[in-house]
Amino acid sequence: MQKETYDAIVIGAGHNGMALSTYLGKSGWNVLVLERRLEEGGGLSTELYTEPGFLHNLHSNYHTFVGLCPVYDDLDLVRGPDGVAYAHPPVQMGSIFADGTALTIHTDMKKTHESMSRFSRKDADTFLRLYKEVKGFQDLMIRTLMYAPPIDVNDITKALSTWKVEDKTEFFRAKLRSMTINDFLNKHFENDKVKAMLAFHAAVCGYYTDVVGLAVSFPFMLGKIDNWKLCIGGSHRLAHALWRQMRRAGVTLLPASPVSEILLEDGRAAGVRLEDGTEFYADKLVASSVDLEQTFGEMLPAGAVPKETQEDVEGYKYQDGSLFTVHMALHNVPAYKAAAFDPDINQAWVLNIGYECLEDFNRDWASIRKEEVPEEPRLNVAINSMFDPTDAPEGKASGMIRVFAPYSVDGKGPGVWSSSFKDVYTQRCIDRLLECCDGFTKEDIWVARPYTPQDISEKLVNMVNGDWMVGRISESNLMLNRPSPALSQYRTPVKGLYLCGSTTHPHGFITFGPGYNALQAIADDFDLEKWWVEI
Amino acid sequence: MIKKEYDAIVVGGGNNGLCLGAYLQRAGMEVAIFERRHEEGGCICTRETTAPGFMHNHAVCMEFMEWMPFYYDFGLEKLGARTIHPDAEFGIPFSDGSPPIILYNHASEENYERTHKSISVYSKKDADTWVELLRKVQAMEALLPQFFYNPPPMPTPDDPDPWQTLNRTLLDIVGLPHYLAQESGKDLVDYLFETPGFRTLLYKGLEDWGTPLELKGFGAFGVLSLTFGIPYSRIMIGGTHTLAHAMVMASVREGVEFHERGDVKKILVEKGKAVGVRLADGTEVRARKLVASNADLKQTLLGMVGEENLSPLWVERTKAFKCGRSCVLGSVHMALNEAPDYKSAKHDPDINKTFITVVGADTPEEMAEHCREAEAGKVPTIPVLFNSCLSVFDPTYAPPGKHALSAWIFFPKASDLSREEWREVKRTYNDRVIERFERWAPNMTRANVIADFFETPLDLQDDKGLPEGDFNLGGMYPDQMVHNRPFTEAALYRAEVEALYLCSSGQHPAGGASAAVGYNAYKIIAEDFDLSYKPWDTTGRGY
Repeated sequence: MQKETYDAIVIGAGHNGMALSTYLGKSGWNVLVLERRLEEGGGLSTELYTEPGFLHNLHSNYHTFVGLCPVYDDLDLVRGPDGVAYAHPPVQMGSIFADGTALTIHTDMKKTHESMSRFSRKDADTFLRLYKEVKGFQDLMIRTLMYAPPIDVNDITKALSTWKVEDKTEFFRAKLRSMTINDFLNKHFENDKVKAMLAFHAAVCGYYTDVVGLAVSFPFMLGKIDNWKLCIGGSHRLAHALWRQMRRAGVTLLPASPVSEILLEDGRAAGVRLEDGTEFYADKLVASSVDLEQTFGEMLPAGAVPKETQEDVEGYKYQDGSLFTVHMALHNVPAYKAAAFDPDINQAWVLNIGYECLEDFNRDWASIRKEEVPEEPRLNVAINSMFDPTDAPEGKASGMIRVFAPYSVDGKGPGVWSSSFKDVYTQRCIDRLLECCDGFTKEDIWVARPYTPQDISEKLVNMVNGDWMVGRISESNLMLNRPSPALSQYRTPVKGLYLCGSTTHPHGFITFGPGYNALQAIADDFDLEKWWVEI
Repeated sequence: MIKKEYDAIVVGGGNNGLCLGAYLQRAGMEVAIFERRHEEGGCICTRETTAPGFMHNHAVCMEFMEWMPFYYDFGLEKLGARTIHPDAEFGIPFSDGSPPIILYNHASEENYERTHKSISVYSKKDADTWVELLRKVQAMEALLPQFFYNPPPMPTPDDPDPWQTLNRTLLDIVGLPHYLAQESGKDLVDYLFETPGFRTLLYKGLEDWGTPLELKGFGAFGVLSLTFGIPYSRIMIGGTHTLAHAMVMASVREGVEFHERGDVKKILVEKGKAVGVRLADGTEVRARKLVASNADLKQTLLGMVGEENLSPLWVERTKAFKCGRSCVLGSVHMALNEAPDYKSAKHDPDINKTFITVVGADTPEEMAEHCREAEAGKVPTIPVLFNSCLSVFDPTYAPPGKHALSAWIFFPKASDLSREEWREVKRTYNDRVIERFERWAPNMTRANVIADFFETPLDLQDDKGLPEGDFNLGGMYPDQMVHNRPFTEAALYRAEVEALYLCSSGQHPAGGASAAVGYNAYKIIAEDFDLSYKPWDTTGRGY
């Protein structure tokens, strides 16, 4: 058989693998992408999970980097011929509290301020100051801290003190590095409900509120609290747009083509072998967007990397918990009792039902770490079809309830999620939702189908332990430490083998950061002309 | 972003819409395809319906790439549409564990012998007849694509009924008496073969093409359904949807634009000419040259074009176009710990590695009764499966060590039951399937099933837009075949409205995911617009 040779081979057609391939294709390289699954897009997965005509985003739902991430522009993902469109719900977020009150976060910060003022005028003012301060240099920070290979946090702190940044800001302090998000909120805010709302926002982004060090990222996150967008036609549409732009750049993607081995020649990554024995060769490089264990443990022959790398791989940590989701086909959109307090709550997209104070989060994180499913589910509810009517048949609605949950349950492994327990828990989640609804009853829920932490890993093997961030969000696992100092620059000890997936900086989520940053490393190594917007 | 204007707008991204779009773009037109669903490919659809990692083909499970021009002209294999041609194609195990009958593909002389040997266990005469029939059909192999990948022959003074002429020609080639053309497919099988179990298998093979088993007038066509369908079908690696993906990528490479959730509600007609479309959200998009519809006939003409733009004759004929009662299927999808292990495998283990097995009926009477029930609008008392467990051939269909099964059962049409009744069927029918299956394969117990899903004809109507769940988008009846499909005036893919073309399976040669309608429609359009890209003239294949 003829030897098929490309310039580059990318393993995995998630959004990072596809973005990197498209850049390389547009740079004139001949690129092949190999995907284990039938569908491209990884976490950009949308399925008719409940009933015909009802779209459900099984993984990625909230796209918060649209407009911030350079990849959308560079690859024409919005402006392109069949680019995506985004809905930007005016009431971005909300919390429904047990006492019948509700808090809403709007794209219009004046309205956010008004809503927050009803709980604490002081907090509302603080929030606005924080938001404005961050907004001032958010672009700069996000672009240098996310869309560039990671740098040493110590250098950042030094720079902050050299430029006397602390004198100029109210919120940025070098000591945020030793603080949790809880600490930050307790330091600056007084009202429990305001704190709960803001903590919920971080939690949904994958940032556990009690993890030391994450206070550093929190202000940046807040700066984009009004940038939560919904991909029209389902998140998978973005995967379609990417794949098409990739094809237009001449890149070939082969679905249902699991890679079993990375082939080495003179110690250089020279190609791959598929499980069915087919071999493809790469003149310049192989880039892996899949997890570390698959890349180093399964695909590379034993002894290909030094012992230290093997230890890095074995020591890599995943998030403590995962997500349990109930996808619902609905006859009607829920309305809430709390609308009597704040009518806007009925228009909110990302809803918190159950987290009343920071202690509630702490309790859930503690249960999850003990592998216990929170007894009383606290919900994240999103009814996507309110903002994208194409998500459901006319007159119907589609939505979901999400709960933070452990991957392995009660020390018995993830298999518990395939028992009847998942139906029991589904019912508990629905009951919790119905408790705070006004006129919306169980008859309005046509079909409810759970998607468990175990399902996450079984669908996308990359998301080890149901971890959709593909690696723990903690200081020891971010920036230069992700996935380890030695592997943090997207290069590996194997010549010609690069990492470009969510195990690398910044992390999972639809940031495109890992793919974009790997590109910078590759561009430097291969003297590629940087035609893309330079950060 | 949707542009204001394209040369050609294709409504619907099923296999024929994709095919037509790709050819038009290659011929120099600027093309956009609007698809109502979130995913292209229509019935070429594979989903993890039961549980993550388990791939289930919905509607289309087998492919015939042997002659598909789209596949070769656009290099679909290189775009990920790769196939397996299984040796054992079609077989039947029996509930008492007697030897199975297995038909092998035509790829080698050895396979003819294996087929012969398998049938001979019951009847040497039947084995001889079958193999002889296959050889004759293979000898005229060159004619088959001519039939599929060309617009239908139209009546002329010399040949007023090309359908009958075709039937006679077919019978002449295989050396069978002409009167069989007026008989049913069942009559044909009964005429040729004596073994009850073999008849059972072939009945299923016949009806699975959508031609009603006992309807008179299909005796000749039955020869094609049996001999063309069985030995040529292939498994798509990773799921049939890889073919849809490859078709989309081929179109993208040519420059076609795609708009999913682009729900076309209206085809804009001005002065008797199609000039564009209006989407559900009110957006209007203009077509400089033409609009082609891959949606079914009634939706296209009565819904999108509107009766006000049609003559009474076209309205009447469109309304009279019949749904195919024998083209309606319920589908069983199961995630399994073990693949079915048939009792009959003790005589011939190949039955456990056969692409399609017919499970649930031992005798021709049971099979015929099953078909009659479904056609009469009743949920079949005994489920008879057209069954595929493709993880046996291709590990990407299921997680390591597990198996994914999909099977199809003749079912009543969507409107025969109420929504509530369908819900009940959906909830309970798989129990009946498992109970039946276990008698053929003792390991097919509830405990072997990790997760399961039953898809009803109503689901297919709701999801894919198949009217009544009819996978051919219009019945295969003698008066709806070839030059009468969907009716004579519309048979050449041109609608009554100028610059509007029809490219759904409601046209010749109907469904089957062969992209034939799209290709044939392109031929007509190439003629109308004097396009210079004519691969049928240049590739040497002759069609």
